Amino acid sequence: MEDIKDKNNFLRIFYTYRPILLVLPALILFIIFFIIPVLSMFILAFDKPVTGVLDLQGKWTLKSFLRIYNRSLYFDAAVTSVSLAALASLITLIIGYPLAYLIAKTENVARNTFLMILVLCAMQLDMVIRLFGLMVLMGDNGLINGALMYFNIIEKPIGLMYNKLGVLVGLVQFSLPFMVLSLIGIIRGISPTVVEASRSLGASPNQAFWKIIIPLSMPGILAGTLLVFAISISSYIVPALMGGWKVMVMPLHVYQQIAEMGKWQFGSAIAVVLFCTSLLSVIVYQRVAIRIGGGRA
Amino acid sequence: MSKAKIKEVNELGTLVKIGSGIALAILLIPVFIVVLTGLNSGDHLTFPPEGISLRWIFAFFRSEEFLSAFLFSFGLALITMTLSTIFGTLAAIFITRFSFPGSQLLRALFLSPLILPGIVLGLALYIFYVSTDIGLARSYPGMVIAHMLVTMPYVIGTVSASLFNFDLNLEQAARSLGASPLTAFRKVTLPNISNGVMAGSVFAFIVSFGQFDVSLFMATPNNTPLPIALYWSLRYTFEPTAAAAGIFAIALVITSMLITSKLVNLQKFSGVKFD
Repeated sequence: MEDIKDKNNFLRIFYTYRPILLVLPALILFIIFFIIPVLSMFILAFDKPVTGVLDLQGKWTLKSFLRIYNRSLYFDAAVTSVSLAALASLITLIIGYPLAYLIAKTENVARNTFLMILVLCAMQLDMVIRLFGLMVLMGDNGLINGALMYFNIIEKPIGLMYNKLGVLVGLVQFSLPFMVLSLIGIIRGISPTVVEASRSLGASPNQAFWKIIIPLSMPGILAGTLLVFAISISSYIVPALMGGWKVMVMPLHVYQQIAEMGKWQFGSAIAVVLFCTSLLSVIVYQRVAIRIGGGRA
Repeated sequence: MSKAKIKEVNELGTLVKIGSGIALAILLIPVFIVVLTGLNSGDHLTFPPEGISLRWIFAFFRSEEFLSAFLFSFGLALITMTLSTIFGTLAAIFITRFSFPGSQLLRALFLSPLILPGIVLGLALYIFYVSTDIGLARSYPGMVIAHMLVTMPYVIGTVSASLFNFDLNLEQAARSLGASPLTAFRKVTLPNISNGVMAGSVFAFIVSFGQFDVSLFMATPNNTPLPIALYWSLRYTFEPTAAAAGIFAIALVITSMLITSKLVNLQKFSGVKFD
């Protein structure tokens, strides 16, 4: 009895008198280890660039950002990052929509759960492991090249990997589950009566699909595309392994500048550019998501 | 319905099925290949495959590199899960139950590690650890903190969702029957959200276990999580032992998702929620 009473008192303090105590541990953790570090990184990016030492000198300058803009090495990496992420969003949408549609329209609970588990497993499995499989498939001595040579279709391996194609395939594999999950809810929310109404007014199934279902899925399509863009542009592991450091994108430069060259200010500046690009698409995403959720933000 | 229309319905259905097949193939084929490589009897997975054996599974159990990384990640994920679940559940109760100015801002803050590129968060923490010099740089506690930041959004998201779905009238009914606010919460609300809490902690575990991005700047030879160990080995060669380690990771993920499907309604689940 004593124990229970103690426990009750303990919880009562939280629940009745000092509710703020509930959130305090998480809040302190986030202030010290999230807000302060991210702000410090931003501040560091605007400091005079030096090599080797991590030191805030207080000499504010835009030098690092100008360097990203002026040096084609870094500017091209930004362009590659954006274009690969944009392409990945488009391809993921085309491939992901049918699966999302199928899951949304599967009413059998067991089958629906099974498909959801497949998508969630693919999403939650460590990306490095998934890339292992993809690399065994697409490498020069991989299964695709092996099969094509076995059947004498090609004579020597075709380069499927360590180029932009490889990175793109990796990004699609990486982000497909996010696209599917963004679409399922919105497709399920389309009322069948709307589709039936269009059919009874003489629309063919194809017309109903393209003129009714697709336009009504638009919020999910936008949200999924922007989400995939944001996570694709942030990926380090996919371009590192599938591109073999031959396809340089912003996350690779961040790591290289910091870990290999000790250029803290410049590395931070690239990270800031990366963060802002991804944030921009997330802000648009949130605006869209609020509209989907009917204002429940 | 005219014959032409029936044909069109079938065509549309076929297109959806073909498309879904392609999507599922892209999602699952790499996973199957890892399993095949880990169970293959040869040194490399070739076309056609050579045969099945458990030699790489045994090699994994003897491997200093991968077994220790696997166990390290497992322990790290357990600690991260425990701390994130406690911190996150308490915070979620506060955010959903007490409205105050700025509560939306607070919610946005707790979910924001999801939108910050992992490598940027890892770098920001690394800069902070190195510059403050409080012994967290390349340390185990430093890595736990990084993993907590990326897993707490999942706990807060799932627990908040189950609190939203919970019918407040039930708690008020308990109150009107004479229960104190605390008793009403403990006896009525808590049992109803416990599934959400457990699902959130499963997510925290699996996100920490597969975490690569924030670990990248934190890892040392003594503190090497499995994704980092696999990455370093993959840069040079395809080791079947690594694939064998992957098989166990795959089993872990499947188990977690099966548990999640028992705990929460996956039909209502839409993954990472930013709203």
